[in-house]
Amino acid sequence: MMSFPYSVGLSSSPLMRLRPAALLTGSLLLASCGLQKDIDVALPNYPAQLVVESYLENNRLPRVSVTESVPYLSAPDAELPKGVKVILTMPNGRRDTLAYAPAVNPNTNKGYTHTGRTRITARPGDTFRLEVYDTQGRRVTASATMPATVPLDNVEYKFNDLSGAQRKAYVLASFRDPAATVDFYRYQVHKRSVATDPEVEYTVEDRLSNGQPLSLGTSYQFSPNDTIFVTMYHLDRPYFQFLQSVDDARNANGNPFAQPSAIRSTVEGGIGIFTILNYQRQRIILK
Amino acid sequence: MPQRLFYLLLGLLLLALPSTVVAQVKLTLSGYVRATGTNEALPGATIAVPALGLGATTDDQGFYTLLLPTGPQEVTVSFIGYQPQTQTIALTRNQRLSFSLQADNNTLGEVVIEGSGTLKEKLQTTQMSVERLTSREAKLLPALFGEVDLLKTLQLKPGVQNGGEGTSGLFVRGGSADQNLFLVDDAVVYNPSHLFGLFSVFNPDAVQSVDLYKGGFPSQYGGRLSSVVDIKMRPGNSEKFTTSGGLGLISSRLTLEGPLPNRKGSWLVSGRRTYFDVFTRQVNKLNEDKEDWNPIPDYYFYDLNAKANYQLGAKDNVFLTGYLGHDVFGFNSTNGFNFDFSWGNAVASARWNHVFNKRLYVNTSASFTRYDYRISNALDQFSFDLSSEIRDFSLRTDFDYALNDRHAVKFGAAFTDHHFGTGRLKAGAEDNSFNFGSDINYRGQEAGVYASDNFRASDKLQLEYGLRVSGFQSGSDQFGGLEPRAAVRYSLTPKISLKANYALMYQYVHLVSNSGASLPTDIWYPSRLSVKPQRSQQVATGVSFLLGDGTYLLTNELYYKWAQRQIDFRDGAQLFVNPDLDSEFLFGRGWAYGNELYLEKKTGRTTGWIGYTLAWTKRRFPPQNGTTGINNGNTFYPNYDRRHNLTVVVLHQLTHRINLTSSFVFTSGQATTLPLGRFVFQDIFGANPSAVPVYPQRNTYRLAPYNRLDLGLVYKLRPIREGGESDLIFSVYNAYNRRNPYFVYFDQIKDKETARVLSYRARQVSLFPVIPSVTYNFKF
Repeated sequence: MMSFPYSVGLSSSPLMRLRPAALLTGSLLLASCGLQKDIDVALPNYPAQLVVESYLENNRLPRVSVTESVPYLSAPDAELPKGVKVILTMPNGRRDTLAYAPAVNPNTNKGYTHTGRTRITARPGDTFRLEVYDTQGRRVTASATMPATVPLDNVEYKFNDLSGAQRKAYVLASFRDPAATVDFYRYQVHKRSVATDPEVEYTVEDRLSNGQPLSLGTSYQFSPNDTIFVTMYHLDRPYFQFLQSVDDARNANGNPFAQPSAIRSTVEGGIGIFTILNYQRQRIILK
Repeated sequence: MPQRLFYLLLGLLLLALPSTVVAQVKLTLSGYVRATGTNEALPGATIAVPALGLGATTDDQGFYTLLLPTGPQEVTVSFIGYQPQTQTIALTRNQRLSFSLQADNNTLGEVVIEGSGTLKEKLQTTQMSVERLTSREAKLLPALFGEVDLLKTLQLKPGVQNGGEGTSGLFVRGGSADQNLFLVDDAVVYNPSHLFGLFSVFNPDAVQSVDLYKGGFPSQYGGRLSSVVDIKMRPGNSEKFTTSGGLGLISSRLTLEGPLPNRKGSWLVSGRRTYFDVFTRQVNKLNEDKEDWNPIPDYYFYDLNAKANYQLGAKDNVFLTGYLGHDVFGFNSTNGFNFDFSWGNAVASARWNHVFNKRLYVNTSASFTRYDYRISNALDQFSFDLSSEIRDFSLRTDFDYALNDRHAVKFGAAFTDHHFGTGRLKAGAEDNSFNFGSDINYRGQEAGVYASDNFRASDKLQLEYGLRVSGFQSGSDQFGGLEPRAAVRYSLTPKISLKANYALMYQYVHLVSNSGASLPTDIWYPSRLSVKPQRSQQVATGVSFLLGDGTYLLTNELYYKWAQRQIDFRDGAQLFVNPDLDSEFLFGRGWAYGNELYLEKKTGRTTGWIGYTLAWTKRRFPPQNGTTGINNGNTFYPNYDRRHNLTVVVLHQLTHRINLTSSFVFTSGQATTLPLGRFVFQDIFGANPSAVPVYPQRNTYRLAPYNRLDLGLVYKLRPIREGGESDLIFSVYNAYNRRNPYFVYFDQIKDKETARVLSYRARQVSLFPVIPSVTYNFKF
């Protein structure tokens, strides 16, 4: 069985984020404190674009967040775009206009602007379409197909031989990668609640391990009695590339060695992500 | 196809060569030019007969050949840093005459006053677009941390840009850093830098000279588009055993050299090592008991050079060269995370020089070069190793034939077998519960044949024309091309020369890098499948004026370069261990043009140069392979594009013991990419929304202009023992402490209590403030 303590998609690996160049640059910068200063930067005009975020799930209300991108140095409190209409087309061709009802989900702290009234049914292979219009004539469209289900065969943990506060466990999730398709996975381990920042997160692609058993793991980092949630998302390529480009774009700001990366949106006419989630999740209490 | 092309070309070449020899009786004057005291050969020295307007330069062994009419002749010999010699000879038969030149000053070679013939020779040669530098010259100038760096000295020449503050990468006439061919005694060096480009791998104590070709490439060179950096190592002292070295702020150097038995040759071993790690280990040791102490990573680099030459007989010499250099970076944390990263070059070459007769000699060499890196991670029971290498075996032979006093012909061939280990990955667990590996390898064979003729058509007109035929094969993929080269010089008056040249170049191996800088993890990749060879053409014209009775040389060169199949990578390209790397490439076109003005003074107590370059570099990558290209297919400036570049270098011998040096640099701001917009990304759960930058355009923002003054003082100490020498070099880098921009980033200003983002701001980061340093050098 093959296993990845961290991602083969190195750019998203937590270890590879400790890039040696960045480490050394950091050391040099530390060594030469006082070498930073605020400067005035005149940026060219940047026309705002609609930004769409929507993650549909089977048996959940469809929710979409529509915001706007803004000039980078503008004030942080931007207003929501007005007069936006969102239409979701179901696999059977039914078109639902989602209601404009901006709110924050108190359970997840996630904001959304549009919501459906009925829960959707999504099966692997189902294709949904999204259309977003606004009164300025901007139009964003997207299409997404739910990835196949890849079942988790096993989730296990193992403690080291130490005692007291040093006693820690790692967690391994095992599954078999489908041989017929090019697959991408997102692995997350949360403590206590999935609404918090994950303790471990990385993405993996199967280009070096197609059709083989895989284990995605962590280091020895969890304590006895921790309640953890292990989630393995099966992603399609557009969603994987979007996540990667977001990561690259964020890393490029402040890293002189990084090449700035454009966002690879899954939507057309704007920026954003529209995808159908298919994931496996297990809750474990470490004993 | 390449085969047919080759025979066609060979035929054309033979036709192009002069079929009749001018019927004129000439005698041959030949011999060696060496340094007094060490007996080191002096390649590149000038032997001239000014009355006849004839001249030649010594080859790698310091050997020269001149065809002269019978009768008395006044011969002048000169070389940078040595006192010129003039000798009158009565030539009645073919004659062997060797010269021994005295260094200008008996310090450690840090005083440079060029021979008076040098500027004149530069005026008269057909070769333009070339910069020659000796190690002695580079050692004079003030340096960052006192660490003399030949490549950084080359950056002070017109047409050569650096890649950013303190870096040793060369960007020559709009070419990228991977388009430079670095040769050490004919062997290729793939990664010429230490510490992510802050220092070059060439230990100045082991190097004799560096020639940088920016254009008008001689036919014997091929394989890179933008420049050739031809480095010759010192052969060693063939008179007596000598020890020399130096103690610097960050490294120490030691060189041993001496004659071989029976004085039939010489040897040299030279080493350099940094000692950051010695200090950081002590700091870590002192703090190891502190709970929150994060150990400082270990880092050091070293270079080890060796060279030997041996005279087999009157007509045969052999030369052995070796180089080994590595950077080693290690990080071991208390929480079980270990990170080791090492990279470096290994180079070995053997050359046989055979003189058939006074007009024909040949150099044949075999070389090996390897560049590799290895990253080893260990986290608890898991381990992860990533490595890559490029390994070459090369053979080359080069003939020099002085056909008559008008034609000097060069011809030869080269073959390289490349091995590209583009990615080796190994992951596993201590308990062997799993193991995983991947290994991606390619082979490639590169070959080239060439012939050229330096034709002195008249006293005023001199031509150099040649052709190189090159080819590359990787698996079933074959590529090839013709590389015509031409240069012409016309002497308008004895003090004004007009020059022009043209060169076409192919590059069959490509550096896979999307970092915008040269990193150790960049890998080399062969031309194969859809990755076709890069190609460029360059024309340059120039005019040189010898001013002030030969004291100054003013040169102006205008160049235009255009290139096809330039490479870049799609956004988010997966460059590590990717068996389908071809699909990550993007191809585009490049243009570079500019004007280089250069005023040099090489005689007298005050010497130096002023260089000014006005240049443009552009690239365009149209939409392709399902991408929008780069910059949405619009033309953009790469980040090493600089509009203006001014350098002023002044060296002044104040007294017998004290030399003052300075260099000043001003360049336009670097082109860089800043995000124009941002959006809020919540992700599946909105626990931690973040601002994601949007980069709609490439390199549209310019950093503030760069300027810096470095000062130096060389103080020759009184000798402690007879025959010994020592000096102190004081350097001040960035003397007026300017905060030059290294990069700019955007930052959030947050409320300290609520962590709410209040506003955004732009921050400029600088790398080096004023840095004084002192270096002690010794020789005995």
